Amino acid sequence: MGIKNTSQQWGWLSKVLHWLTALIIFLQIPLGFYAESLRLSPLKMDMFVWHKSLGMLVFLLLVIRLLWRIKGTIPQSLSASGAQKCISQAAHWLLYGLMAVLPISGWIISSAANIPIKLFWLIPLPAIVGPDESLKSVAAELHHISVLVLVAVLILHIGAALRHHLLMQDNTMRRMWF
Amino acid sequence: MVLIRYLIASFRVKQIICTASLLCLLIPPPTWATSWRSDIQASQLNFAPSYEGLPINGDFKEFAVIYTTDQEGEPEDLSVSVLVASADLGNSELNTEIRAAKWFNITAFPEAKFSCQEFTTDNNGKVFAHGELQIKGYKKPVTVPFSWRLLTTGEAVMRGELMLARNSFSIGSDEWASGDQIGLAVKVWFDVVLNPINPSL
Ligand code: HEM
Ligand code: HEM
Repeated sequence: MGIKNTSQQWGWLSKVLHWLTALIIFLQIPLGFYAESLRLSPLKMDMFVWHKSLGMLVFLLLVIRLLWRIKGTIPQSLSASGAQKCISQAAHWLLYGLMAVLPISGWIISSAANIPIKLFWLIPLPAIVGPDESLKSVAAELHHISVLVLVAVLILHIGAALRHHLLMQDNTMRRMWF
Repeated sequence: MVLIRYLIASFRVKQIICTASLLCLLIPPPTWATSWRSDIQASQLNFAPSYEGLPINGDFKEFAVIYTTDQEGEPEDLSVSVLVASADLGNSELNTEIRAAKWFNITAFPEAKFSCQEFTTDNNGKVFAHGELQIKGYKKPVTVPFSWRLLTTGEAVMRGELMLARNSFSIGSDEWASGDQIGLAVKVWFDVVLNPINPSL
């Protein structure tokens, strides 16, 4: 298996980026709800350092992924109908969009709330906007709605992957796995 | 004889009067101590606790500075009072938190005070106010350095910066006491515009 994607196969870089992102997202969603539910305490602050660090990591992985995708090819869809291809493409781009909107809205929430960010307790992330209570509410609303959309699209995404694998029994899942 | 003596005497008296009035001109006119009061609209008192080593910038919206200089313009008295409940960290959740008992405990200690009658200056004209800071019921000796500049408008500007140890005043107790996340050192800096209070004669 090469590093590059071919028209039939995903290369290992795309696979690693996909599954690493998937793993972080699955941690990120419960972590976000948990951190938010805590009362203001050192624990809450630590949980948010994790949440913000992992979230910005998703963003970094997204950038690498998109650059890699633009520079190379991707395997052809194995979906039978044009409509299905269309839906799967829309879903993939929606996922990419959410992987950008979530970290950026999260970054805006923190900055507008006047809370500095230190990624993994090491790297300071500069404020993206100044303190602004109403902007904070808007960004938090956007973050929240994005989470709901993400969960819905992921159900569709995982459902489609399982459908390809179990019902259609094609190569879709296998070629994304190692 | 009597006449002559009289003439001499009156001449002397005149001389004395003349010399005395000349001397009077040489003595500078009397001056008084001047008091200055902060113009709250034009002044700022900022503070920044740190979170993971990065500053969270905030300020106190309500405070007053009264500064008195003596005849020679030397510092004589400085008193600052701060309404702790006017602290603003730019975030409503944090603002609620810092008003609570573990932090400023504003219900019990609504006001912080600094008062000072002892001053030193360095070669650059920087003033060091060696006074007493009272926050949350604790009184600690604190030195506040500041620069003092008279403006052509008749106002004066007082600027300075210092670090305070929040643990000296038990600000942030219990789980916050360690300073691991919210650092123990808090930066305080100010830029205060003052107007002279006319001496009431
Ligand atoms: C158990 C969870 C998951 C499974 C089984 C899964 C499965 C797959 C499979 C099989 C593909 C390849 C589709 C093809 O070759 O046409 C794929 C692509 C993709 N997955 Fe997932 N995925 C999962 C989780 C996620 C998560 C959490 C995200 C991101 C939020 C995600 C984002 C994407 C994207 C954007 C693509 C399209 C890649 C491209 O066309 O550039 N996946 N996924
Ligand atoms: C993949 C990226 C991310 C995902 C999936 C995600 C998910 C979540 C979830 C599920 C919540 C709790 C529910 C909600 O209020 O929406 C949440 C809250 C939050 N997230 Fe994220 N997040 C991500 C990235 C980030 C980043 C990068 C930051 C900051 C730099 C961030 C900051 C926050 C904040 C501050 C909250 C609390 C919101 C509030 O106070 O209402 N998130 N996130």
